[in-house]
Amino acid sequence: MFEALFYLLIFPGGFFLVLVGLGFEWLDRKLLALFQRRVGPPWYQPLADLIKLFSKEDLLPKGGNELVATLLPLLSLCAVLVAGLYVPIAGFTPYSFEGDLIVILFLMSVPTLAYYLAGIISIGIYSILGGGRSLLQYFSYEVPFLIALSGPAVLARSWSIEGILTAQFTLGSFVLFQPLGFILALVGLIGKLKRDPLDIPSAKSEVVGGSLTEFSGGKLGFWHLAMNIQAVVGIFLIINLFLGWTKLANPFVAILVFFLEFLVIVGMLSSASAIFARLRIDQLAGLGWRILVPLSLAQILFVILMGV
Amino acid sequence: MDKVNFEVLREQIDSLVGSKCEVYDAIGNDDALIIPSERLMDVVALIDQIFDGAHLTTITAQQRAGQLDLIELMYHFYQKFAFTIIVRLQAEAPSIASILSILPGADFYEREVAEMFGVKFTGRTETPPLLLPDDWDQGPPFIRKEVIDE
Amino acid sequence: MSKISIPIGPQHPLLKEPLSMKIDISGEKVLGGSLRLGYVHRGIERLAQKRNYVQTIHLVERVCGICSHIHTTTFCQAVESLLKLEVPPRAQYLRALMCELERIHSHLLWLGILAKHVGLDTIFMHTWHDRELALDVMEEITGGRVLHGANQIGGVRFDLDESHFPMIHANLEKLRSQILGLLDILENEPALIARTKGVAPVSQKTIRQYGVVGPVARASGVDVDMRRDNPLPPYDQLKFSVVTMPDGDAWARTIVRAEEIRESLNLCEMILEDLPDGEVSKRAPRNVPEGEVIIRSEAPRGELFYYLRSDGTDQPARLKIRTPTLAALCLLPVQMSDIQVADIPVVLAGVDLCVACADR
Repeated sequence: MFEALFYLLIFPGGFFLVLVGLGFEWLDRKLLALFQRRVGPPWYQPLADLIKLFSKEDLLPKGGNELVATLLPLLSLCAVLVAGLYVPIAGFTPYSFEGDLIVILFLMSVPTLAYYLAGIISIGIYSILGGGRSLLQYFSYEVPFLIALSGPAVLARSWSIEGILTAQFTLGSFVLFQPLGFILALVGLIGKLKRDPLDIPSAKSEVVGGSLTEFSGGKLGFWHLAMNIQAVVGIFLIINLFLGWTKLANPFVAILVFFLEFLVIVGMLSSASAIFARLRIDQLAGLGWRILVPLSLAQILFVILMGV
Repeated sequence: MDKVNFEVLREQIDSLVGSKCEVYDAIGNDDALIIPSERLMDVVALIDQIFDGAHLTTITAQQRAGQLDLIELMYHFYQKFAFTIIVRLQAEAPSIASILSILPGADFYEREVAEMFGVKFTGRTETPPLLLPDDWDQGPPFIRKEVIDE
Repeated sequence: MSKISIPIGPQHPLLKEPLSMKIDISGEKVLGGSLRLGYVHRGIERLAQKRNYVQTIHLVERVCGICSHIHTTTFCQAVESLLKLEVPPRAQYLRALMCELERIHSHLLWLGILAKHVGLDTIFMHTWHDRELALDVMEEITGGRVLHGANQIGGVRFDLDESHFPMIHANLEKLRSQILGLLDILENEPALIARTKGVAPVSQKTIRQYGVVGPVARASGVDVDMRRDNPLPPYDQLKFSVVTMPDGDAWARTIVRAEEIRESLNLCEMILEDLPDGEVSKRAPRNVPEGEVIIRSEAPRGELFYYLRSDGTDQPARLKIRTPTLAALCLLPVQMSDIQVADIPVVLAGVDLCVACADR
């Protein structure tokens, strides 16, 4: 009972994920600033932003539905927090079962759908546009993302993340067999997180704030927190699926390696936002269905042939 | 077309209007021609045809001291060489044909003159004010000399 | 899909200055738009008729926050032409130097805004960082970064001495290497090309009918540049080429402006090389004789038009300013059709908005 509460609230659940989420935001902003010859924020900036958001007045425009507008960010936050509970961290996983990968993928999609709903129920034009765009984007990146992530599962013949990790201990890291799948998973993650360069649903110069235009105060704070934790869970997932190294006996080494891998992936995401321009929605759909889907299919075919 | 200079242009405009137009030479480094206001459309159409798309720089409206009953509209063109077409309107209820159908680029210039000098351009659709506020109370035109001198 | 109308402005993250557009869209497709100005209308043309000539110089400097120097230069040239005052050659060259620096910083600012609108924040940060090099030079020689107060009737109010040259040359050299790198990115970055190439192309005929000038016209293949066609000294003695592109789309405009920065850098070097000796200003009388004059000069955004009439007093009788942005703005509603919502920022950025200029 006590142990379960610890897992749920402290580690690897609630508190830890919030902390890493804020740390991720700071690291991302700082790296981007360095790429752009700026100074960047101090380490406590994301936390300060969050505190400030929660202390602000929470406004909802006339005609908005208070209950739904409050539930949507909370729902996305809960979904990603639960997902975080099932992702192994440096090989440590309290709850693992056959099929948890599918549960995580499902939970990770909840914020996107909540984002879409947040736009559609709003009365603001920019929100409606942003909501519609987020769904269009979802259809473009989600298919290659899912196919890319199922590659490791097929290779390991297991739908549990721990099973995939164990398979990597004998076969070797899956990024060696599926470099393409790794890249596709990263692209899909960028699309899922609505990060630059795939920030089409929230592009400031086109649709102001996307679905979140009308949100303020604590609700907006929950949205930001949910997105940061979603990013962290996504990165952890990719590390587990593609970058599991042969059994590391020493837990300290394991934690260190895990942390380094996390840093590398954050660096890759930040540099992607620094060097690419935002795509148009039709260009993204073209990229998704004409390039990413065939590539991911080729990758999975390769994996299946390898398994035979 | 390359050989067109102001003299050639003046002859063509003269023959279109049917009488000799007065040359106004007080403007430094620009040639100007005063034409009757009711023939403006024809003259602009002729210029547009000669140059295959006339480049209208702007429309200047002004009043001169001692002639406050007149509003002068200057259509400044630039087409390899610069020239100006001048029309004079009565300051009391001034009105002139809009050249928008020939030169769509004149839109903002006409609207500005209409708002600042109260000149009515006929033959174009009614538009909301360009520079003045939406609820402008139609007070005396803004840059009219008599308003400024008050 | 049903038609909805989205407002852009007067306050919108896309706009740096107030301007109001109503754009009709259906899904992601843009059907048309209308435009409304006047949020920063200051009545400068009217104010000028109640100020004397010296005050008016400082008034017209405030027409535009980016190209303030070209406004004062053009106004002073108009007054000097009425006074029949010969400006010392050194003053002419110094004025041209400032004009070219201003063109560099204006174009860099524009490149940054375009990059920001297509989501390339890195280029935005870097161009605005480089722009500071040009601003530093202007501050060093005139004392002002944006409003320089550099002109007076009869000459300029600053002079260069030997101590300035190393700093100017060093900054220009740094700028040149940055521009080369920037051009390389602009010409090869696939996502930027995908976002700007073929977006809302404008034909030569449309450009002429709408009276559009400057880089927008040159990007459509209209070979017009007032520095060459209607040169005021010292441009008649300087050698430079006018950059044109045939396509007329947003990408062509980007390249034209980037290449123009390079031309302006060459011009700056040339001006510093040929800088004549002598005095930098002449005394001008307070009253200006009766007469009227039209001056056309090349601002960073295109042909700048000043009409000045004097009635023999110390106040202008009529001052008419036509800024290049006003012509380009006419074209904006025309371009707002058959594009996508995502192209709106690119088209808006493409005409290089300066709303304060357009409103006056």
